[in-house]
Amino acid sequence: MNRTVLLAGTILTAALVGILFLGLGHDPKHIDSPLIGNPAPPFELKVAGGNETIALAKFRGKPMVVNFWATWCRPCWEEHPTLTAASNELGGRVQFLGVVFQDDESKILGFLQQRGAAYPTVVDDRGKTAIAYGVGGVPETFFIDANGVVVAKHDGPLSPEQLQSYLAKDLGQ
Amino acid sequence: MIITLLLLIGLAEAPQGTPLQGAALERRTHEIAAEIRCPVCQGLSIDDSPSEMAVNMKAEVRDLVARGYTRDQINAYFERSYGQFVRLRPEFRGVNALVWILPIAALAAGVFFVLLTFRKLKNAPPKKQQRDDLYLARVRELTKGASR
Repeated sequence: MNRTVLLAGTILTAALVGILFLGLGHDPKHIDSPLIGNPAPPFELKVAGGNETIALAKFRGKPMVVNFWATWCRPCWEEHPTLTAASNELGGRVQFLGVVFQDDESKILGFLQQRGAAYPTVVDDRGKTAIAYGVGGVPETFFIDANGVVVAKHDGPLSPEQLQSYLAKDLGQ
Repeated sequence: MIITLLLLIGLAEAPQGTPLQGAALERRTHEIAAEIRCPVCQGLSIDDSPSEMAVNMKAEVRDLVARGYTRDQINAYFERSYGQFVRLRPEFRGVNALVWILPIAALAAGVFFVLLTFRKLKNAPPKKQQRDDLYLARVRELTKGASR
């Protein structure tokens, strides 16, 4: 009986230690997006500083990079040059779109004037689009293929190498 | 127009409940929001968190309840965007079922083990009697031939 209890206890402890060990390599803040492999949630939002709106459907047929950001987010400042350079380089082959989240329109315009705007930026006023995309914090970037399907998501600021990798692997660029 | 509006908020289905307003709307919003996790907080529901993200999400819940969406439809809507992580009370399915099953199984195993141990103790002869039985058996064995 004592041997059985010891064996059962050892197996149980080993299993628990194994689960904890696996968890060590996992970022607790990273959540796999259930949107991957599914159609990108549609939206139609007002362009920052303008009166016109842009609908996601407008870009159907072209791979897209949709970046959720805000001017109060420092990591967004870091990745802005990366996204701008990639948009300028890829020209019409990939459509970049910025979605500003929980921010003030005058600050957005000031930021873009100062740091450059290579692609359209829309304002998610009440955060409905961010909620539909499961955004937890900015920056978050979604890669959408030409069929309108979300193929990848990146949490945090994108480095040029990371962006290049997503564009090559997930969008075939 | 209505279909476009539904698609724009990510709900392609029609409401399956009754539209609510006033106190009933607030009560239902509070009930549903209390079970949805705030994605930018540590273990807080969108009902408890003062963050802008949580406030926006709660406003979304209120909007959907007011239009007649049910609790299940609203939970499914948030789950489609954030995954099961967004639910503070995991559903009884898949790996999540273990969260409910394991504590009950562990309790049952513990009760079984305790009962088994008690039963063995109850059925086991007292140690002194056991020792006496051994002596008696030896005496009987030795005196077996002598009685003939």
